[in-house]
Amino acid sequence: MTEGSTMIEVEGLSKSIRNGARTVDILKGISFAVPRGQFVAIMGSSGSGKSTLLGLLAGLDSPSAGEVRLNGTAISYLPEDQLAKVRGKTVGFVFQSYQLVPTLTALENVLLPYELNTEDANNQEGQKRARELLNSVGLSDRLDHYPVQLSGGEQQRVALARAFILRPPIVLADEPTGNLDTTNGSHVLELLLHLNRSLGTTLVLVTHDPVLAGYADRRIVLRDGAVISDEIQQPASFMVAT
Amino acid sequence: MAGLSYRSALRIAGRELRFSRGKFFFVILSVAIGVAALTGVRGFSTSFRAALLDRARSIMAADLSARMFQQPTPEEQKGLDAIAAESVQITPVTEMLSMASSAKTLDPLLVSLKAVDPSLYPFYGEVELQPAGSLRQVLKNDTVVVADDLLVRLRLNVGDSLKIGNRIFRIAAVVVNEPDRLSGNFAAGPRVFISREGLDASGLLAPGSHAGQRYLFKVPKPKDGTPISEKAVESLKDRLEKLLPESQVIDYRETNPALTQGLDRATSLLSLMSLVALVLGAVGVAMAMRAHLEQRLDSIAIMKSLGAGSAEIIRIYLLQTLLLGLLGGLLGVGFGALVQMAFPYFLGKLFGVPTAVHLQWRTVMTGLGAGILTTLLFTLPPLLDIRSVRPILILRRAVEESADPFLAGLRKKLTNNLSQIAAVVLILTGLAVIATTLSDSATVGRVFSFGLVTVLAVLLAACALLLAALRQFLAKTRLRLPSAMRHGLANLYRPGNPSAALLAAVGLGVMQIMSVFLVQQSVVRELHLSSAPNLPNVFLVDITTKEVAGVEKLLKAQPSVTAEPELLPVVSSRIVAIDGVPATRASLKNFPRRMLRSISLTSFPQAPAGTTVVEGAWWNAQEQKPVVAIAQRVAERLGVHVGSKVTFAAQDTEIVATVVALTKADGQHTFSRAEFFLPRPVLNGLPVVWYGGVHSDPKRVGELQRALYQSFPTVTVINVAQALETVRSVVIQITYVIQFLAAFSVFAGVVILASAVAGTRYRRIREVVVLKTLGATRARIAAVFSIEFAVLGLVAGLVGVIFANIVARVLLGRMSIAFHFPWAWNGLALLATAAATVATGWAASFRVLGQKPLEVLREE
Repeated sequence: MTEGSTMIEVEGLSKSIRNGARTVDILKGISFAVPRGQFVAIMGSSGSGKSTLLGLLAGLDSPSAGEVRLNGTAISYLPEDQLAKVRGKTVGFVFQSYQLVPTLTALENVLLPYELNTEDANNQEGQKRARELLNSVGLSDRLDHYPVQLSGGEQQRVALARAFILRPPIVLADEPTGNLDTTNGSHVLELLLHLNRSLGTTLVLVTHDPVLAGYADRRIVLRDGAVISDEIQQPASFMVAT
Repeated sequence: MAGLSYRSALRIAGRELRFSRGKFFFVILSVAIGVAALTGVRGFSTSFRAALLDRARSIMAADLSARMFQQPTPEEQKGLDAIAAESVQITPVTEMLSMASSAKTLDPLLVSLKAVDPSLYPFYGEVELQPAGSLRQVLKNDTVVVADDLLVRLRLNVGDSLKIGNRIFRIAAVVVNEPDRLSGNFAAGPRVFISREGLDASGLLAPGSHAGQRYLFKVPKPKDGTPISEKAVESLKDRLEKLLPESQVIDYRETNPALTQGLDRATSLLSLMSLVALVLGAVGVAMAMRAHLEQRLDSIAIMKSLGAGSAEIIRIYLLQTLLLGLLGGLLGVGFGALVQMAFPYFLGKLFGVPTAVHLQWRTVMTGLGAGILTTLLFTLPPLLDIRSVRPILILRRAVEESADPFLAGLRKKLTNNLSQIAAVVLILTGLAVIATTLSDSATVGRVFSFGLVTVLAVLLAACALLLAALRQFLAKTRLRLPSAMRHGLANLYRPGNPSAALLAAVGLGVMQIMSVFLVQQSVVRELHLSSAPNLPNVFLVDITTKEVAGVEKLLKAQPSVTAEPELLPVVSSRIVAIDGVPATRASLKNFPRRMLRSISLTSFPQAPAGTTVVEGAWWNAQEQKPVVAIAQRVAERLGVHVGSKVTFAAQDTEIVATVVALTKADGQHTFSRAEFFLPRPVLNGLPVVWYGGVHSDPKRVGELQRALYQSFPTVTVINVAQALETVRSVVIQITYVIQFLAAFSVFAGVVILASAVAGTRYRRIREVVVLKTLGATRARIAAVFSIEFAVLGLVAGLVGVIFANIVARVLLGRMSIAFHFPWAWNGLALLATAAATVATGWAASFRVLGQKPLEVLREE
């Protein structure tokens, strides 16, 4: 695949859910394509469908109509287990509420996707990568801590490391700084951008924060389940607030 | 802030109930199953036991009997009248030997007369007649009812006349079965029933005649439909023993030790099962409530952050849990009632076990009370905990790890949680009271109540210890373990995960189920032994030494005889002195002095079948010196013990024998009727009569009787086949019912434990979603959970099985039943527990595994 080839392709994507007798259309036929290495911010007010869109991009749910292709693979109607494989190999996911496995240490949490998705039995390579990643997010002294022993910012940094351990071509982030204060938020964002640039990852970030969206190459705005604007922009240069 | 009124609290609680009906339904169901198990098992076993006791009473035809050899003194009569005034029914039964003759044959025949008042006798059971009819209608002042062998010997038919004393009676019917045949005299001669008026008219009852008199007593049935309590019988017995010091008072339980033992064991087991149902129910309620409260933590945190005080929150959730407990309890009582109705129906259909069912208020209230108390027990402490919890901790699900050393931490915990501890102690006391009322068997109640607390503490400690050991192992090997294994093991230590509690609950459940199973198995094995089909049911009286070989040969040749005949030599004797005190002055306890003059001595080289030595030791085969083994029951009444000297006189020989052993007989062999055993050389030269016992097909006893009569006309045949069939059928029914109830307890236990394990599934949903997002397949997640559940099952199973064996051992020891460690069953139980936990874990997580991750994330 060459530079600039399409990494994510969304075609006529719709999602409705039944709520009692009523059917709610969350997404109403969305289409767009994201080339490799692009940083896309998806914006919209709460209830606009942005998190659902992200979930569908990650294959966390099936659409009601339309298709999502990741790196050329159509994922929308794959059976769960195949979908899990695709997700593991192609997508890194960062949640707003971190979602670390509470029974595993920081190191084990970062290692988990590696163990789940590679055949490397003694996972020496995985452990090496996990240590490096935790080191790069500034948690080299927290390897054996359990999630409850970490602060919110630290947990999110572990989650970032976890999203990148398999060096996935795509990273999806759902309000990754939403639960954090400004300092911690900026720190996490900085790390996210750094990892994105250094590894050449395609990054899709959902946010309602215009400042955050300002750092992206492209801004897609949703309202009531439809795209109301899709613009390429000059990303703002990043400065950590102190 | 103004306090939340109970009304608003109830409204909030109720609204929450309506909104997540599905989850609450599960909680209610868990409570209901627990309460249903308790009410069903309890109610049914009470009814069943009452039915059995009624049948057991028919062996004596009464609750109590007092045997005496003279008319009651005016004083005694006054006492009896006072007892009768308390609506205890009393009827006398007189048994005596007499001669009867007919016009057809000139030779008179020795018969054993039994005079009864047909309007009262028998209090329990039926006298079966041929042609069919009731004794009350048939037995008049001028009629008699006779045994078949009288007709054979005198060549008479029903309707013919029979002369007894100086009166002529018409033979109105043949007696086929007399319920209290086993408790009457085994005198020579065919049975003749006569009315009391008839006996008076016959002129036989002259002063000084050898008549034995028994008074039968029937305790009034309580008006509320509950069975006659054993205490009522016991207290009447005490009273009678004091009132009639010269008489031998026995209650229905003493007439057939095998039956009584069977009943006692069944009672113990049924008590155990009721208690187990109680605890299993409590475990079900506990696990359901725990999962429920955990679910509510978010709402609680939100309310707290909105300014709700702890008191208000506790009020809301207390009302809610009470409501759940009450709903579950009511549903459970309903289920239990259905179970109670269904049991007798099935048992009646399958085995013909008769049971009258009456739903007792006490049982219902016990079930409901237990349900609500356990609900409170397991919700109050965590609710009280809320007072000290800051909302953020709940929202973050963070667990503050204590840095204190263990003991200091414990002390701090104890002092900080005084109110919780007080609540727990109070509620536990309530449950203990319920447990005590539940157990009819004091032994089981005691073992259980003391045991449960200890076991629970030890169980928790053992589980915590095992978990800690596993954690050590995990810490050492952590990254070297395969990842699914590591993850599965790590899951046992989920923060805030009540692994130790779940382990203790499952362990406790396994222990209960397994102890019921083990005890049931041993009891049923014992019962099968005591209801063996080849025990003697036809007794032969008055065989001479010359005849004995011939009788034995004839018996063995009979096709209806299915077991080796048992023959017992008897020397008639009397006791002249006890420990040097002449018999006339010996202090006897409810042993009619007249009976000292008709003592049967027998000899046996060792304790015969069915007789066991309970104190002292049997003599060795070469013993020449006069020693004696005495039935314990008789020894107590005579006031002798091992080492006492009893002087017997037979003809003109006196034997001063030292008591060397006390024995106890199972009442099922010919030998069981023997009360004094001496070495053969000691009895040499004394005149001997033989008694015999054989097992015959109950339907072909008549055939045997005729064959014996033809060759040995002087030998009396006593047919107790019918009575023994009654005993046997009751014992067999006991085994059916306890097996059935045990199976039910095990089943209910498994269901409750499964629901406890399944209750943890809400905790897993989030985890499954994260794992799936990270690329985990269903197989992988299932593997992780399988390891977690398998370890949980194995640890709980191990602890449970070990304790079950201890409990079974103690209980069986108390019932004097041998305990054998069942390797195979224990191994199987262990594997089954692990398999069942894994299967339930899977079943509970199955839906979760198939869910699309976004559905769950969206719910957050």
